[in-house]
Amino acid sequence: MIDKIKAKNLSAQLLYVGTGNPPTTHPHSAISNAFPGLEMDFRNAWRRILKGLQLHESSNLVVAVDDDADPRLRMLSSGWRLVMIEDTRLMVPVKGPLIVGGPIVDLPDNGFQDPLMPLEWSNALASILSEHAGRTVRCKFENVLDKTLAPVEFDIELRPFFAISTVNGETLKQPVISRDLAPPGELTQSLCSPWQSDYRECACFYWAATRPDYVNVETGPEGESTGHNWMQKDRTPETPKLYLPDDWMDPELVTYLELYRQWEKSLRFVIDGKDEDPVTPPGR
Amino acid sequence: MLIQINNARSRAAESDGTAQDFLLFETEFGHHLFLTNGSQVYSIPAQVADDLVTSGGEHLQVLESYGLLSPSAIGNQPLEDPPVRAISLAIAQTCNLGCLYCYAQQGSFGGESREMHWATAHGAIDLLLNNASAGDRVQVTYLGGEPLVNRQLLRASAEYAIDRAKPKGVKVSFSVTTNGTLLTEDDGEFFERHGFSVTISLDGEAELHDSLRPFKGGTGSYDRTLQRVEPLLKRQRRMQVSARVTVTPHNLTLRRTLDTFIAMGFHSVGFSPMLSSPGRDCEMDSVSLDQMLKQMIDCGLEFERRLMGGEKYPFLNVLNALREIHKGTHRPYPCGAGAGYFGVSADGGLYACHRFVGDDSGKMGDLASGIDRQRRNTWLADRHVHFQSPCHKCWARYLCGGGCHHEVLRRGRPACEYIRGWLKYCLEAYIRTLERCPEHFAQPACV
Repeated sequence: MIDKIKAKNLSAQLLYVGTGNPPTTHPHSAISNAFPGLEMDFRNAWRRILKGLQLHESSNLVVAVDDDADPRLRMLSSGWRLVMIEDTRLMVPVKGPLIVGGPIVDLPDNGFQDPLMPLEWSNALASILSEHAGRTVRCKFENVLDKTLAPVEFDIELRPFFAISTVNGETLKQPVISRDLAPPGELTQSLCSPWQSDYRECACFYWAATRPDYVNVETGPEGESTGHNWMQKDRTPETPKLYLPDDWMDPELVTYLELYRQWEKSLRFVIDGKDEDPVTPPGR
Repeated sequence: MLIQINNARSRAAESDGTAQDFLLFETEFGHHLFLTNGSQVYSIPAQVADDLVTSGGEHLQVLESYGLLSPSAIGNQPLEDPPVRAISLAIAQTCNLGCLYCYAQQGSFGGESREMHWATAHGAIDLLLNNASAGDRVQVTYLGGEPLVNRQLLRASAEYAIDRAKPKGVKVSFSVTTNGTLLTEDDGEFFERHGFSVTISLDGEAELHDSLRPFKGGTGSYDRTLQRVEPLLKRQRRMQVSARVTVTPHNLTLRRTLDTFIAMGFHSVGFSPMLSSPGRDCEMDSVSLDQMLKQMIDCGLEFERRLMGGEKYPFLNVLNALREIHKGTHRPYPCGAGAGYFGVSADGGLYACHRFVGDDSGKMGDLASGIDRQRRNTWLADRHVHFQSPCHKCWARYLCGGGCHHEVLRRGRPACEYIRGWLKYCLEAYIRTLERCPEHFAQPACV
């Protein structure tokens, strides 16, 4: 009659930890509670894109090989990383300034003493996936622990990203991520608890594609911009518009501890990129 | 998590491995699980129920495997020096009735009849308000004997409490429990103005009530009580007028009593079994408690039927139980006695609650010398449900809290089966109500 456990009263809803789901998925501790868009860590959707392998969500390392995978793949969990699929390289040279206003230089992957850096999975795999989803692809791996080892290559199935179902004999691609890519709980595993950590760390400095952290921005005649960092405590119209770079020791910026203890006092609404004045309730 | 399991195991070991940490129950909506820890309620697949039934002493591992094991919500640490948030004033230790079962022995608590003086009421309210801060809520309850014997002090002290609380930003609320025979329309106006919760002691229809609650001269009090209460029933807006029925083996007609008083317009009607009486008259035994349980469930089922029909049926016991189960209330004590609540006797003694007035076993100081911290904290340590037997083994321990201290100390625990039976019914009723009428729990107040 009942096919899964359902928390009924309020204390059960607070305390129940569904199998596979970390505390960050609880309503009271999820970052999406305060920052819609972070209901999951999208990077995790790519970890199992190659059947039998588990990749790191933010690097190209192989972190584990499934128990039921082709036994020849077992070796890949010992310091190997994926560097190429078919003819597409997954590591590229990256150039840019090391400091604001500094000269353009190569940005090496210092972690592995490598002149190249791995692409983020979505960028790296989009074109490959559109052409090869559901088929076997040629994958090339290099060992980062022992660079004297020769690269190895395997043919591995590239899983479809979206769920596939058959309706009236017709195979249809569903608008949801395939279950094969993420067992229950895995999409949220790399979110932080408490959510404030992700809020400060990721909302501002990782998921910052639209620069939500850059507020009260004004554009000058030459196209240059000035504005405030939204973690900057002092943000009045009179505050000089100089973006303060992230530094967890800078007392001018909201700290993790302040967010943990009083996020509702530390944060402010930003609407259309501008700080909103605190709303005064009628009658006060 | 492993530490939690070990702690739970050791507690089970202390209790010969028989501590019950859950209850399985069924409704037409399937299998359900009540977890003692945190008073959690779940609907579960049959497989989970089967696994728990066959788990033997390994139920904690089964719970953990399903994500149902959470850290213990209540430890062994007792409350210590909690703030005082409620007092009752025995403003008249005398009564005009001679009820057969009265714990206060017709109002005098076994001693001389006496009335509280202004200085005592004043001092008690100061005790309550001195340490209250803006935003706190406190409660003043008037009891006796019959509190309306000392009407003047009731009104003066309530107004004093309001005057003191207002500038501090403290919200003070009032309640009074009365036999109703001395009520006047002017009392109704006063209670309405200050939003009193007025509880009228009524034990059934005329004949039953009169046999249990006669005037001291022997004549019945029913007609007089209703005549005096009726104007208040019509007046209630801010004021709430409820009926409280003390159930003895002689008035086991709960459904009829409930319907009668609800039809009269009482805000709510509640029942309480007489478990401990100074003269042992009218105490409920196992047979009569079993009868009472059947009738309570009959009243509860009628409540469910009326609720589905969108009808108000203020059966207080089930309303309170559903509210607390929905919240998942879990507590190591049955009430606030000796913790946030004190009963103040007419001569200024501080007692664990109103029932202990005049009883040294529950005395915790007096207004002149203040709260006796040692006696109070010893009481709180002793009365913690983990140290009550057999409560520490019972699945209902955090809903029940171990039972009324006064009744337990006087008579023991003759009503455990009744309490568990009632709570099991209420858990079933909770599931049915949640499934069929979830909006009931969205209301700010259940009544």
